[in-house]
Amino acid sequence: MMPGRRVAIAGVGYSTIGRNTGLSSDELMIQSTLAALDDCGMTVKDVDGLTTVGGGAIHDAWLLGIAPLSWWCTAMEAPAFVYAAHQAIAAIASGFCETVVATRIIQQQPTGKKLIEGKGKQHPMTAMFSAASGDRQFLLPFGAGSPVNWAGLLTQRHMARFGTTEEHFGHHVIAQRSHAALNEDAFFRDPLTMDDYLASRYVSKPLRLLDCDYPCDSGSAIVFTTEERARDARKPPVLVEASSLTAIRDLNFEILEEMAVTSPKVCADELWSRTDLGPKDLSTAHLYDGFSIITFQWLEALGICGLGEAGPFVAEGHTRLGGRIPVNTDGGACNVGRRHGANFCIEAVRQLRGECEARQVEDATASVFTNSFGPFCGAVLLRKP
Amino acid sequence: MSDPATGPLLPIPDEWSRFFWDGLAEGELRIQRCQQCGKYIHYPKPICRFCLSRELAGEPVSGRARLHSWTVATQAFHPFWIARLPFTLATVELEEQPGLMFLSQLVECAEDDLSAGLPLEVVFEEISSELTLPFFRPSHGSEAR
Repeated sequence: MMPGRRVAIAGVGYSTIGRNTGLSSDELMIQSTLAALDDCGMTVKDVDGLTTVGGGAIHDAWLLGIAPLSWWCTAMEAPAFVYAAHQAIAAIASGFCETVVATRIIQQQPTGKKLIEGKGKQHPMTAMFSAASGDRQFLLPFGAGSPVNWAGLLTQRHMARFGTTEEHFGHHVIAQRSHAALNEDAFFRDPLTMDDYLASRYVSKPLRLLDCDYPCDSGSAIVFTTEERARDARKPPVLVEASSLTAIRDLNFEILEEMAVTSPKVCADELWSRTDLGPKDLSTAHLYDGFSIITFQWLEALGICGLGEAGPFVAEGHTRLGGRIPVNTDGGACNVGRRHGANFCIEAVRQLRGECEARQVEDATASVFTNSFGPFCGAVLLRKP
Repeated sequence: MSDPATGPLLPIPDEWSRFFWDGLAEGELRIQRCQQCGKYIHYPKPICRFCLSRELAGEPVSGRARLHSWTVATQAFHPFWIARLPFTLATVELEEQPGLMFLSQLVECAEDDLSAGLPLEVVFEEISSELTLPFFRPSHGSEAR
């Protein structure tokens, strides 16, 4: 069972999201935080905690006049947004604070071309490629070091071990796009065919461009609070049923001992150990798609399908709207843009509130959202009261 | 001296990794090994995570390995590698210890011939006058496990 007090999500919000918006990270944080508070009818006066990945929680609190702050977290070694969510949940459950805004603010990363030209120096991504020191001395001189390279390695291992095919990943990409077609906030809404997928260029074979999320500027914010407070908010509360966070090694994806089954298996087992619910109770699943293989590993880790069966499971249409368990109903980060995991939380909340209109799953009662894989990851199970 | 603008990105060795790069210059693949419990550790670290010993040293290894996974890089993230595309990055498991993984490149093999578990052997590639790297190729001998 989950320790401590029952936690709920009261509000969710996004900033303006787009390609090279010119908006500062402060502006993206301000817009998304105020949108999330407005969503639940709260104000900054109700907030006594801030958690974020990258950026700076105290800096953000000062900007918004949130003081005193009883809990904050500015995470660096974090498996995307779910880390900020888990810290918020832990802080409220334990009683250290009452209401936490968890954010993920993303400034569009430079393209590979700009990295090579040494442009985009203000972005942390550029520094990752400029000095072969520390662990990077075993990657950069070898021509490795981009996340697409480890994503290619983990994709290939799944194919080699389980017989997964490139078409299986294509079915996943096509299914997500069909969901995005029903989401006005998605960048990409035109249907895709298998030919389109197979014509997409490789970035690190077997990984294709269409297997990668889409870089953009984005701010996402979610208001976590106690169940009691959430019941007084403007929107119906969504309860945190269980949460788990897992790290199995340092962050060197390239030398994982087994690339086909990684941290999500440990994380999912822990998640299910904290609840009476199981995979069959899920109405929807919102599984990180920074690379297609991540979604596949989570389908298997959570027990939505069997080990090694994600490819055929997706190809049979089970993850589509109308299928056995609709996955990434907003279209995923490949289509709504890189919100570094936060979109999966927000879409899960909206499904459980019944706010998803054309893509609404009927009578949604329980949804899971997950971020990252490989060395580290996290998962949160949400449900209707 | 290779031109820094056109040459490969050179490693910046530190006190824990210097033996590795020195070994390559001498035609030897060396991996850090705990002198207390005998476990190999890669990437090199200031402490053995198995027994917390500080007695660590680089030791030569056989260079024999099995292929765990691979990916064909079709986009480079450093100018030096653009002209060398495509090339195959691989994670290999060194035979000395289960789970002792090493990231490298595969050479002298066709993509269609690759499969998980393929026996490999190290081959030293002079990338530039200042950089020799341990790459892997399918093993020719009968030493495969």
